[in-house]
Amino acid sequence: MATFNKTGGQQQLKAAMQQSELCTNCGACVDLCPYNVAFNDRIVFLDPCDRDEGRCYAFCPRTPTDLSALYDGLFDAADLTPELGAVKGLYVTRAADPAIRDKAQHGGTVSALMALALKEGMIDSAVLAEDSGELEPRGTVVADADQVASHAGSKFVVSPTVAAFNRLAKGEAQAIGVVATPCQAMALAKMRLKPYAADASHIDKLKLVVGLFCGWALSLQKLAGILEPHLKGSEILKLDIPPSGHACMEVTTEQGMITIPLEEINPAIRPACSGCLDMTAEFADLSVGSARLDGGWEESQGWNQVLVRTEAGQKLMDLAKDAGALEFREAPAGAMDKLKQASMNKKRRALEHLAAQSGSEDDLIYLDPSDPLVIKLKQSWAAQ
Amino acid sequence: MSILSIDDPGKQLLYMGNEAIARGAIESGVRVCAAYPGNPSSEIIASLAKVGKELGIYVEWSVNEKVALEVAAGASFAGIRSLCAMKHNGLNVAVDFLYNLNLTGTGAGMVVVVADDPLALSSSNEQDTRHYARMGDLPLLEPGTFQEGKDMVKTAFEMSEELGIPVMLRSVTRFSHARGNVTLGDIPRGQNKPFFDVTKPRLPKPVEKTHKLLHEKLATAGQKFEDLPFNLYQGPDKPELLILTCGTGWYYTKEALHHLKATDRVGIAKVGTSWPLPAKFITEQLAKSQRVLFVEEIDPFLESNVKTFYAQNAAELGPKEFLGKVTGNVADMGENTPDNVMAAIAGCLDDCVVPARDQEHAAQAAEASKRLATTRALGLCAGCPHRATYWAVKNALALDGRGGFVVGDIGCYAQGRGPSGFQQMKTMHAMGSGAGVANGFGQLTRFGMDQPVLAVCGDSTFFHAAIPALTNARYNGSNLLMLVLDNSATAMTGFQPHPGTGRTAMGDTAPVVDVTKVCQSLGAEVIVLDPFDVQKTTETIYDLLQKQDGIKILVLKQVCAMVRTRMGKRLYKVHVDESKCLGEACGCNKYCSRVFKCPGLTFDKTTGKAGIDEAICNGCGVCASLCPESAIIKEAL
Repeated sequence: MATFNKTGGQQQLKAAMQQSELCTNCGACVDLCPYNVAFNDRIVFLDPCDRDEGRCYAFCPRTPTDLSALYDGLFDAADLTPELGAVKGLYVTRAADPAIRDKAQHGGTVSALMALALKEGMIDSAVLAEDSGELEPRGTVVADADQVASHAGSKFVVSPTVAAFNRLAKGEAQAIGVVATPCQAMALAKMRLKPYAADASHIDKLKLVVGLFCGWALSLQKLAGILEPHLKGSEILKLDIPPSGHACMEVTTEQGMITIPLEEINPAIRPACSGCLDMTAEFADLSVGSARLDGGWEESQGWNQVLVRTEAGQKLMDLAKDAGALEFREAPAGAMDKLKQASMNKKRRALEHLAAQSGSEDDLIYLDPSDPLVIKLKQSWAAQ
Repeated sequence: MSILSIDDPGKQLLYMGNEAIARGAIESGVRVCAAYPGNPSSEIIASLAKVGKELGIYVEWSVNEKVALEVAAGASFAGIRSLCAMKHNGLNVAVDFLYNLNLTGTGAGMVVVVADDPLALSSSNEQDTRHYARMGDLPLLEPGTFQEGKDMVKTAFEMSEELGIPVMLRSVTRFSHARGNVTLGDIPRGQNKPFFDVTKPRLPKPVEKTHKLLHEKLATAGQKFEDLPFNLYQGPDKPELLILTCGTGWYYTKEALHHLKATDRVGIAKVGTSWPLPAKFITEQLAKSQRVLFVEEIDPFLESNVKTFYAQNAAELGPKEFLGKVTGNVADMGENTPDNVMAAIAGCLDDCVVPARDQEHAAQAAEASKRLATTRALGLCAGCPHRATYWAVKNALALDGRGGFVVGDIGCYAQGRGPSGFQQMKTMHAMGSGAGVANGFGQLTRFGMDQPVLAVCGDSTFFHAAIPALTNARYNGSNLLMLVLDNSATAMTGFQPHPGTGRTAMGDTAPVVDVTKVCQSLGAEVIVLDPFDVQKTTETIYDLLQKQDGIKILVLKQVCAMVRTRMGKRLYKVHVDESKCLGEACGCNKYCSRVFKCPGLTFDKTTGKAGIDEAICNGCGVCASLCPESAIIKEAL
């Protein structure tokens, strides 16, 4: 890029999002001020703000980002890997409570961890994605551990969850945990570097980020349009995407399960996701995804794999073990390598996409081509 | 007692031009007066309404100008002298009736006063209504002095009665709203009983008879004009330049010649009877000089008519040079001023220069006007419900995201086109045209138009001209959202009552014609909200925009801030908790004073904090609901 401006205001943010279709709808720019709102799967700039510098621009995960500074500032150097970010450990777990598992997408690990964090007082409020009754989820706040599970289940449309954190941090809450997609976790990471002193007290309330593995998210309008003819008026109970070999989306409705080929769904993928390097929510304290077990999809569906990245993440994992909140089983051999491979594939596709979008290897839109990490990644597949 | 009803013949009083016209009607024994308010004409009927009961005159604010003219005609038909006043656009509304009335003829004297607004200082458009007199074969008078304002009305009544046609009188803003001395005449007593002679029906047909008769009447008017004192000449016998002028041009020209020291070089012929032209008088004037300059407001009306007249009499009058709007000597739009008239005259004379301004005096004047008159942007008042409405509209349209827009018309809410209405209003034409134009947009969904359309109109405009458009939308299935901004007043023209207010022009109570019930009777979905509840209003507008199945009507009911303040019923006392105010910091950036921009909100650059200007704040409390930090506190009064 010609200039790598790490500061800007709403006008620059708006221009960047509109020019490159970069917006992930994470909600980081929302509820910091009255100017920007998240509505119908998009950010609406209600009024113009003429500040040269603003938090909306600074926190956005798709404005120019110094990747190395984020990793170096937030994680133990010893834990950092180019493929998966910081890794303290890989676990395969599921919620011990069958009631949580029933409501969960897979093993219910996220719900169990958040409920535990609330119960143990590690956090006093949890920000989760909530089903709004429509396809579009929204960020919601839960303070009662027993309510966590009712919000379980994967959302294939990104909810503006960070906006809920922004709202919450302004108020009474003192210790906040957030369940975040990779883009949301990156926004929270950018906040954690405290570019604005005035916000330090808000961001200090962020005590836990549980990340969600994410291949991509879908555009609400487009997904709704694609699903509509399949649904024939019936309500969606659950959406899922089995491992890549299945190449389909499973839509469970009152009428039963409909399988829709992924190639039919692909056009609904948010353009911003194509430029995302992060499959495993590397900027979280710990990250959770569906497990890949030897017994295949049937078995894997009931379990999660968890990457622990920080001390806070490790502490919660240890608590879960001690309290019996999670059941553990051994990770299959090669699980870490499979994850790394999948993660690197996403990184490579994303960097290629960004270069293609800008038309130059030297312009990666929101990433700095001279960032040591970016250079290292490029070198790693050049070597293959 | 009003200045208008002083019964002291010979006494001289200072009257506003519109009051002089009203006094002329009183001295003519007028007994029915009707109008729809509109600047610069409103004070004619407003001042008559104040003395109506005292003098036995019926005065009404009609729902629109056409109805007002019809009310006046009914009285005239039954032998009662009547007057109808309107602004220039008003005549456009009324002219359909007027151009039948000229053929059916009138009974008792009937005068139609039209006040033009050069440069559209308080109007949507600029137009010269004098053309209507020529097109409709009606006599037209233009007062040049305040005394004439009164006297011409009396002449107009007499002539109307004698010829059996309405007589028009044209004013302009600077005549209507300026003041001058007027010597009073008698206020007649004695009243006839109204009676409509059914053996003389008022029918415009057969036109071969009625139109011919109208032309004869007009010719008679032209002859009568010759003897009137309103046409006069002042200046040397053989001026090197003859100025033909009318209306405000009389004073402007006299002042200009004085400053130019050209009174012995230039003559002024004042034409008070602009249509039909007094042929003999015009011939006499044209004979005085080879060079003729026309000074008149807006269009080259006198100029064109005199040139047409000259074409028929060129052989007798010899060669002439005509100067005016057509030749570019005088601007062909906008408002005349003593300055531009002076420049025009100087430009037509050799060795004549506009005297330099007294710079010291000019500086003093500039300083005084800066000191005494606060500079402020044109916009909605503090606490105006329309600001809250446009805020909700702006947000609802932004959330909707399909590029929807507002079409509107004339009223305070026309400020919706400017900063105080967040530039939401995108079309503005005649009264009720927002609703009408929306009918057209609302039919285009069939061709793939996906921008939702909102129309706005005020409550007075609703009765004036919106009802037919809404009926049309319902009948023809147009997809539109109508916002009726019901502030219980005809606010822009001076708070005149209308059918929804429960009061009449003369101060009596009247049955309230309920806007909501009228809307409901159309069978449309109707919702009533308080626009001060910005959140609810935004959500409702958004929801209604999602329905593309015909007309939806949202009545936004909240009394005009000025009316509320005058009633002493402010809703809230508002103040800023400076400890919470973020000022220019990220998170606010002067949201209240920079974005919402109510004039009651201030920002102190030194402290970096918002504040409330208590002298201006009307206590609507909307800013308190918008402040992101809840730093604006409202306390119910």
